Amino acid sequence: MRVQLFIAGLFAFIFGSSAFALVTDLSNKRIEIRYSFDGADLILFGAVGSSAVDPTSDEFDVVIVVRGPEAETVIRQKQKVGPIWINANSLSFPSAPGYYAVAASRPLADIASAAAFESYGIGFDYLPLLARTERGLAAPDPEFRAALFRLQASQDLYRQERDQVTHVGEGLFKTDIRLPANVPVGEFIVETFIFREGSIVARNRIPLAVDKEGFERAAYDFAHNYPFWYGITAVFVALSAGWLAGVLGKK
Amino acid sequence: MPLYLPIAELSMNIFLVIGMGAVVGFLSGMFGVGGGFLMTPLLIFSGVPPAVAVATESNEITAASVSGALAHWRRQGVDVKMGFVLIAGGAVGSFIGAQVFTYLRSLGQVDLMISLAYVLFLGSVGGLMFWESVRAILRQRKGIVPKPKSREDRHKAWIHALPFKMRFRKSRLYISALLPLGIGMFVGVLAAIMGVGGGFVMVPAMIYLLGMPTNVVVGTSLFQIIFVTALTTIFHSVNTQTVDIFLAVLLLFGAVIGAQMGARMGLRLKAEQLRALLALLVLLVCFKMGVDLVVEPTELFSVGEGGGH
Repeated sequence: MRVQLFIAGLFAFIFGSSAFALVTDLSNKRIEIRYSFDGADLILFGAVGSSAVDPTSDEFDVVIVVRGPEAETVIRQKQKVGPIWINANSLSFPSAPGYYAVAASRPLADIASAAAFESYGIGFDYLPLLARTERGLAAPDPEFRAALFRLQASQDLYRQERDQVTHVGEGLFKTDIRLPANVPVGEFIVETFIFREGSIVARNRIPLAVDKEGFERAAYDFAHNYPFWYGITAVFVALSAGWLAGVLGKK
Repeated sequence: MPLYLPIAELSMNIFLVIGMGAVVGFLSGMFGVGGGFLMTPLLIFSGVPPAVAVATESNEITAASVSGALAHWRRQGVDVKMGFVLIAGGAVGSFIGAQVFTYLRSLGQVDLMISLAYVLFLGSVGGLMFWESVRAILRQRKGIVPKPKSREDRHKAWIHALPFKMRFRKSRLYISALLPLGIGMFVGVLAAIMGVGGGFVMVPAMIYLLGMPTNVVVGTSLFQIIFVTALTTIFHSVNTQTVDIFLAVLLLFGAVIGAQMGARMGLRLKAEQLRALLALLVLLVCFKMGVDLVVEPTELFSVGEGGGH
């Protein structure tokens, strides 16, 4: 019921003002991490207006890019030193996104050319990323760049063509994007691109916040802002739990 | 049922965590050991970041040692003076260990250090323990009773030559304080870098190096473990914020249940058999850690947070 009202509202909004070609909204603009958090599904609704595309007749493609907060990420490579394998080389990416998902209505290769995606910086292969080197920020070694995407993808943190955008019809589309349990907290950006005949005809972005809430937030803040007192608390909890276990165990 | 751990920043199945605690608790109850050397590797194998595993396990060991130490305290099995000298050394060792841990973590080498420490110490302690218990079992079969050495014989000459002698009435010892200080420090370093209580080093050192009577060895060891792991918990909390209280409490919950059952099982086995089994278990953990170091990993790359800040 809420969804239908929402869609009706979208339509009224789009056809009421021709200046906006694309409108999107999220089912939830704030993802809360609580004790039972096991990841979340982000539901995005969008509609294209008639100024750019006539939704009733024209074909269009949708590509949605979700980017998590940027953080310094280090990729390390093991090498054999004597009989054992140890981390030898490393490359630091000072501002790699903590989460990066690309969802599309069709396989990316069918939507636009590689050159187009490269110019827009969309996708695993074209996301602009710099690495810290001795000569300052520079393009990363391709092997390490590939390793970053491979490792983050194996953690479900980087996702490409795994979440589908579906056309509901009449210019409406919808997608579910999976945020795994280990998703970083912070400010996210959800960007929607409308492609027609291989190039972008409309785009917009909306913010999304992922944050620890309630007890989880309090515990995390306590551990990071007052680490000494957190440690004292941990010891106190352990001493009382151990004492309690001893008393119960004797009976 | 998934449970989000706010410090470890990952979601784990609550029953898996309690189950791991119970299995390790069972084994530690059966063998009468702390179980840190089993729990920390198990946490790492199940996907908990090594730094979180080590720091959190220190916290759990504090809790697990309290009940054991209380039981020994009631039986007059704790040499408090010796305990405090060991703790003084342990505090310094734990501080050094935590600093080394923090530094290596920033270099991305903390996993290597944990693995190497495990292979080295579990390998040597497990090997010695296995050899000793097999010999005891063989002797028993042949019916040879080894002559007990007198307490004076156990002490080597160099130990008596050390300065700063101190009297430990409960242990009936008059030895240099440097020796327990040094042992305490060494075990403190191990506690901080391996996420163990260090009983597997402390107990043999008390018996063979210090020559303490066996009735106060385990109680005094547990007594000092409480303090040293408590300090380690605080150092890790301050340095790296990797202590997850919730994970520790859940593991403890499982361990308490498991230990009760394990202790009952342990009563059915002979001491030599128990030691041989424990030695095999120690060697197994050591072997697994060693293999992971030597075999070429399928993924040569790993991802970590930015270091040096």
